[in-house]
Amino acid sequence: MAHKILLVDDDIDLIQQYEPFLKQAGYEVETACDGREGFEKFKAFKPDAMLVDLAMEHFDSGFVLCHKVKKTEKGKSTPVIIMTSAGRETGIRLSADTTEETNWIQADDYLEKPISPRDILQYLSEKVFKK
Amino acid sequence: MATIKGKILVIDDERGMREGMKRLFESHGLQVDAAATGLEGIELGVAQEYDLYFIDLKMPDIDGTEVLRSIKLAHPESICIVMTAFASIDSAVTTTQLGAYRYIPKPFDPDEMTHLVDTALGRRTLILEKRRLEQEQERQMLELSREQSRLRTIISALDDGILVVNQQLDIVLFNNSFLGLLEIDKQIKIGSSIHSCLPAAICKQMQELLQKKHAFSAIKQEIIIHPPAEKVVMFNTTPIKDDQGEMIGVVSVVRDITELKKIDVMRSQFVNMAAHELKAPLSAVQGYLEILTDESIDHSSEMTKQYLDRSLARTKALVSLINDLLNISRMEAGTQRREIERLDISSLLQQVLESMNSEITAKELQVETKWGHNLFITADRSELARLFKHLISNAIKYSHSQGQISILTERENNYIKTQISDRGIGMTPDEQSRLFEEFFRAKNKYTRTITGTGLGLTIVKKIVDAYSGLIKVKSEFEKGSTFTVLLPAAETA
Repeated sequence: MAHKILLVDDDIDLIQQYEPFLKQAGYEVETACDGREGFEKFKAFKPDAMLVDLAMEHFDSGFVLCHKVKKTEKGKSTPVIIMTSAGRETGIRLSADTTEETNWIQADDYLEKPISPRDILQYLSEKVFKK
Repeated sequence: MATIKGKILVIDDERGMREGMKRLFESHGLQVDAAATGLEGIELGVAQEYDLYFIDLKMPDIDGTEVLRSIKLAHPESICIVMTAFASIDSAVTTTQLGAYRYIPKPFDPDEMTHLVDTALGRRTLILEKRRLEQEQERQMLELSREQSRLRTIISALDDGILVVNQQLDIVLFNNSFLGLLEIDKQIKIGSSIHSCLPAAICKQMQELLQKKHAFSAIKQEIIIHPPAEKVVMFNTTPIKDDQGEMIGVVSVVRDITELKKIDVMRSQFVNMAAHELKAPLSAVQGYLEILTDESIDHSSEMTKQYLDRSLARTKALVSLINDLLNISRMEAGTQRREIERLDISSLLQQVLESMNSEITAKELQVETKWGHNLFITADRSELARLFKHLISNAIKYSHSQGQISILTERENNYIKTQISDRGIGMTPDEQSRLFEEFFRAKNKYTRTITGTGLGLTIVKKIVDAYSGLIKVKSEFEKGSTFTVLLPAAETA
């Protein structure tokens, strides 16, 4: 059965870039544009993995969504990968700097944008769904 | 003759005596007045202070001793010489007791008299010099005490805190601002140790500074004071040295920098957000270009066009973001040049609306207008055009296709009211509360494909504020928004 990916990003262009490639590679894909919609889709769609942008309606929306997902029973076993362009060079702390914050967020991984669709596919097959 | 060219008064009832002395003294360049009676002598001699008085002891009206007493009373430092043809021990004693400088018997020899006047004027010169020095000293003392009290007043009135500490780390001087800045409410005694009232970090630094033999420059140190509220103060501590260059203490100027710190944080937050917002469109464009240049991917011409269109839209948005950022920076720096003129607001809005015709037609929007007449404001034309362009552009962007926009201008008391309404997607209360935040953009299913910088309304607010105006927002999610701008009306021409 195809793996299900939930893509959460407020940037329509990034969704347009990833979605067709993920589908072409055989994933089942659902998208959301903010934390609230992301959480609703998580409950309804029950994805096998989530790719979540950090800064959406708020600068830490991705962290909050991840925290909420991980609090659910299903979320505990769902890999959540935070993607952000608010990297260290922009001076915005990626949070997760302290153990306390990392424990609160409980993200499975952090990726620095921009990431090409090819790299995302490679990342998913090698790190998330490795056989 | 003596150092001063003196003024002499001769009081004698004997005419020959008066004229003889007058001639003699005037030939030596002195100024001489004469009185023929005792009363006239008192009148002249009291009215002004002469350098030298010659007083005859026996006069028909009143006695010379009375004249002497009156003059000495009025001018204690005057030099009086008593003359008499009937010299007696008694009268000599009396007149000397009254303060006469000399008691001389008549008649006298002109040379002797010249010599006497010389000596007397010499003494008078010394008296005057002494008086001048005394006055000078008194003036200086007065000035010094005035200067000290002036310094005290200045130091206590200073907004900055001042603290002077000696080498033993005892407090030598402080002002009220110092106590206030450090939230010290107990009494501090001059001479008490700084350890009793200052934060340990400051004590340590002062101690180190005092131990250095060759400290010249000031040391800056930030200290956080709380409670009640968090406050950051800056200690600027400079060594004090005596004439020999020996360290004798330190002086600290203390300043509240809480607000500066806050501005600092806000500034760096703004820079971070700007960097993030600049990076986002570039990431999107880069993503499209990576797909388009990837030869392993089959590109349909439809997909290529779509990707290029989106790349172009994001690039354009990036350019307007940079323009908006520059705009805000100019407004904040106050370097914006304004050409203030009288503007008809309705015709200005019509021009702005015309310039946006292509966007309106593209979405097939209906624009309803209601123009008020003779509505003038004084403002910079391009700045006001920018203000309304941002608002109309938002109304267009957040309208549904074939939607309706209405624009109205009218007078409201001393203000000109402009109202721009749409029946578009509207805003939630949360979105409304963050409307004027820099980089804030409503994010939901309707706004996904709408590009914007998140700075438009920040600029709008800044322009409205610059003209002492007011902006109000009424909005309902999924129903539409109304922006009302009130700007002061121009005085009637």
